[in-house]
Amino acid sequence: MEQTEQHAVAASGEYLTFTLGREEYGIDILKVQEIRGYEAPTTIANAPAFLKGVINLRGVIVPIIDMRIKFNLGEVSYDQFTVVIILNVAKRVVGMVVDGVSDVIQLGSETLRPAPEFSSMLDTRYIVGLGTVDDRMIIVVDIERLMTSQEMALVEATAEA
Amino acid sequence: MTLDMSQFYQVFFEEAGEHLQNMESLLLALDLDHPSLDDLNAIFRAAHSIKGGSGTFGFTDMTEVTHVLETLLDRLRKGELAPTGEMVDAFLSAGDVLRTQLEHHQGGPAAEPGVVADICERLAALAAGEPAAPAPPAPEVRRLRLECALAPEVAGNAQGVDNLLAALAEIAAVELEHRPEAADPRLAAVLTTGKDDAGLREAFEFYASPDEIRLMPAEAAAIEDAGYGLFEELPGTAAAEAEQGYGLFEELPPRTPEPAPSETAGFGSGSALAESSGLGSGMTPAARASASTETEGFSSGVTPAVQALASSGPSGFGFFDDAPGAPAQAPAAAIEGEGYSSGVTPASAFAGTEGFGIFAGAPGSQGPAPAAPPAAPLAGTAGRRASDTPGVETVRAGRRETDKTATAAAAESSIRVSVEKVDSLINLVGELVITQAMLAQSAQDLDPVAAEKLLAGIELLSRNTRDLQESVMSIRMLPMSMVFNRFPRVVRDLAGKLGKQVELKTVGEATELDKGLIEKISDPLTHLVRNSLDHGIETPERRIAAGKDPKGAITLKASHQGGNIVIEVMDDGAGLNRDKILAKARERGLPVSEAMSDFEVWQLIFAPGFSTADEVTDVSGRGVGMDVVKKNIEGLGGKVELASATGFGTRTIISLPLTLAILDGMSVGVGGETYIVPLTLVVESLQPRPEDIRTIAGEGRVVAIRGEYLPLIPLGEVFGLASAVREPSRGILMVIEAEGGRAALFVDELLGQHQVVIKSLETNYRRVPGVSGATIMGDGRVALILDIGAVTRMGLQTNRKQYGQTPPGLAAALPPGQRGTACAFGT
Repeated sequence: MEQTEQHAVAASGEYLTFTLGREEYGIDILKVQEIRGYEAPTTIANAPAFLKGVINLRGVIVPIIDMRIKFNLGEVSYDQFTVVIILNVAKRVVGMVVDGVSDVIQLGSETLRPAPEFSSMLDTRYIVGLGTVDDRMIIVVDIERLMTSQEMALVEATAEA
Repeated sequence: MTLDMSQFYQVFFEEAGEHLQNMESLLLALDLDHPSLDDLNAIFRAAHSIKGGSGTFGFTDMTEVTHVLETLLDRLRKGELAPTGEMVDAFLSAGDVLRTQLEHHQGGPAAEPGVVADICERLAALAAGEPAAPAPPAPEVRRLRLECALAPEVAGNAQGVDNLLAALAEIAAVELEHRPEAADPRLAAVLTTGKDDAGLREAFEFYASPDEIRLMPAEAAAIEDAGYGLFEELPGTAAAEAEQGYGLFEELPPRTPEPAPSETAGFGSGSALAESSGLGSGMTPAARASASTETEGFSSGVTPAVQALASSGPSGFGFFDDAPGAPAQAPAAAIEGEGYSSGVTPASAFAGTEGFGIFAGAPGSQGPAPAAPPAAPLAGTAGRRASDTPGVETVRAGRRETDKTATAAAAESSIRVSVEKVDSLINLVGELVITQAMLAQSAQDLDPVAAEKLLAGIELLSRNTRDLQESVMSIRMLPMSMVFNRFPRVVRDLAGKLGKQVELKTVGEATELDKGLIEKISDPLTHLVRNSLDHGIETPERRIAAGKDPKGAITLKASHQGGNIVIEVMDDGAGLNRDKILAKARERGLPVSEAMSDFEVWQLIFAPGFSTADEVTDVSGRGVGMDVVKKNIEGLGGKVELASATGFGTRTIISLPLTLAILDGMSVGVGGETYIVPLTLVVESLQPRPEDIRTIAGEGRVVAIRGEYLPLIPLGEVFGLASAVREPSRGILMVIEAEGGRAALFVDELLGQHQVVIKSLETNYRRVPGVSGATIMGDGRVALILDIGAVTRMGLQTNRKQYGQTPPGLAAALPPGQRGTACAFGT
């Protein structure tokens, strides 16, 4: 299951890229539901700091995660340019705050280079590979796997196999 | 293809389930001394429908059981046997067996073959039993008139007809009146047989649908279907016009004296009657003429009509046979009549159509005859006749309907819709409510003069939305009888087992409750009823000794009180024993004192593992239960209370919100966030004076409210909200009821009261401690709904964490379920 999923990520070929600090990330565009501006969410008590809270997305309660806090990318600010990517992963709707959305790019699976193993905030388990577009390095992330992981605490512990 | 079939299976499963349920409730309500024929018939019909359905779908095991069941029921409803308690028991067990079989077909465990065989034997033995004394002895040999329409392919096959007749001859002496043939697939015969109806019908199973077979005593047939009798003998059944018609017939020598000859017995008679009312209504010489023409030209005029009908297949014939299901075909047949009549000579056309029109109403002539337009010009055109016919038929259809079971009537006026569809509708309406609230909120800033029309529109929208929401919610509402219906059986079985005499009364079964709640309430209620039976109601000897009616009473009552539904379980048994409960509580190390109020003592019953039963029986006494009951009901947002008087009985009162989808809530503000507190749990709100806030051991805070000390739960601290007000005297204290005890929830401010649509946080996120769900407020923002029980627990822990220890008297060592109670004890 996991394998086929990953294959699908690579095969779809189109990625939405966004910036977090000075890094550029790419995620499978098919996982993206929409992109919208940031609105102050309703905070949830005793939740991790990166979980900003929940918002009402046309009647659906959607949790909002700030990836900048999650990845420790320094000072975070919220203004009218702050962007939320609404993801549709594992039959859930999740919002992800990023610094900015840059592009939709084509990346063939053959252009992806494996990420070197070293400890970072983002476990290499969640990195599909590193792509290059116009000298920019794009970190291609398996967003579904990341969002359903234990460390994001988005799903009940039982949901994690 | 398989998929298609399984869809029908589902319908059958649902219907069979309903029939079983229906049968059971009728059986339990059956008055053995004076059995009502209607009830017996209804029970029979239920069994018959299950048999028919299971036969159709090839569930032969069910067909077998229902068949034996039906045989006995049939004898009962004919009065050949008198119902006995033993029979009711056997029927109930048979119902259980059928239910197991039904579940088996739906993927459940199989019924034990031994049990099935056993019940079949029991039923067969009962059915074979000697006729009861008061009932007239079953006629050994009966003369029966049989009428049925065969499927055209059978009727057209001489060999097939021979086979059928041979089969009939084996069980009865047959006097054939009309042999079925392709042109007229009707079979009419007088049978002399010792077999019962079911046996006869069975012989036809392969040839015609059971509905299309009419069996009646040969004599009665004359009355029931005028055509068969000699007209002179008709004991004034028909309306006046019809009588007139009969008079006329006596003038027609060739026809009346003998039962309709060669042609088709049924048809001849039917059209004869047709004329009788038709002519009676507007008698003119022309009418006579046409009538006599008709008599002479009968074969030429009518036979084609029959053929026309025959070619239309058995459906056309259902019509002649008064088969249920005829109404739908009536207009079709009428149209056919029209088509036919246009192609023949006027005289026969008249005969033909007239025949049809009345034929629809022929059996049981009283009803339709007056319905035929009395002043209709005799030579009313075929078209007109045809258009009259459906009207007549409607009357009949309506009447037949009332004759059918109530379920059949309900089926006509209701549709089956999957719960998911209803739920998605409810969700959509929920969205609409939120949108409307948003609109209303934004409109508040508008200039009331400039935006007068817009504001009026929004006002109207809000009213319509509210109405819409109410009616949509009502779709999910089911009557409490859905739950109550199972109890007569539970009580009957259990009372028998315990050797007690108990009468169950139910009040307010029509009270409606959300489907989700109905499903969840039935287990706690069963538990309470079992408790009442086992511990409440005494044995007959003890009751007599106590000067009470040896027959105990358990009452189930449902009613609406405000926005809640209140369900009470009452018994007139021994009541709760205060001393015993206190002694048990002490034994278990619960903090109790003699000074406790009755209310507090009764609450002890809800402690986990608490039982005052001296011995554990297989019914109850293990002490698992009341705590579960309480937990389940509180999980539904409801409350349980007990009232009891020693020697007079116990009353358990459950109050529940009407629905799980909407909640009446109080919105409170804490540290800039909005939370919803379920209104049912709020006792009062107040602003305390600084001196009312006390600490215990210098730390844990309690608040004195009218002499009662309640633990203070600072919501802002529980949720770690930095900006929350810290000083209770500057905020608001909300006295809440949590898990049997009370506590004071400390919030910054009260914002208002709302009806909120409950949304799950778990759909896209996860469970959050202290929060039971979320909702969307009028401004479009999300507000969390507090799980008061959990917040109270968290609050007490916060107290402990923050102040190092829990104030004494709060008994923090108690299990979580107890802590609420402990709050009350702390006073």
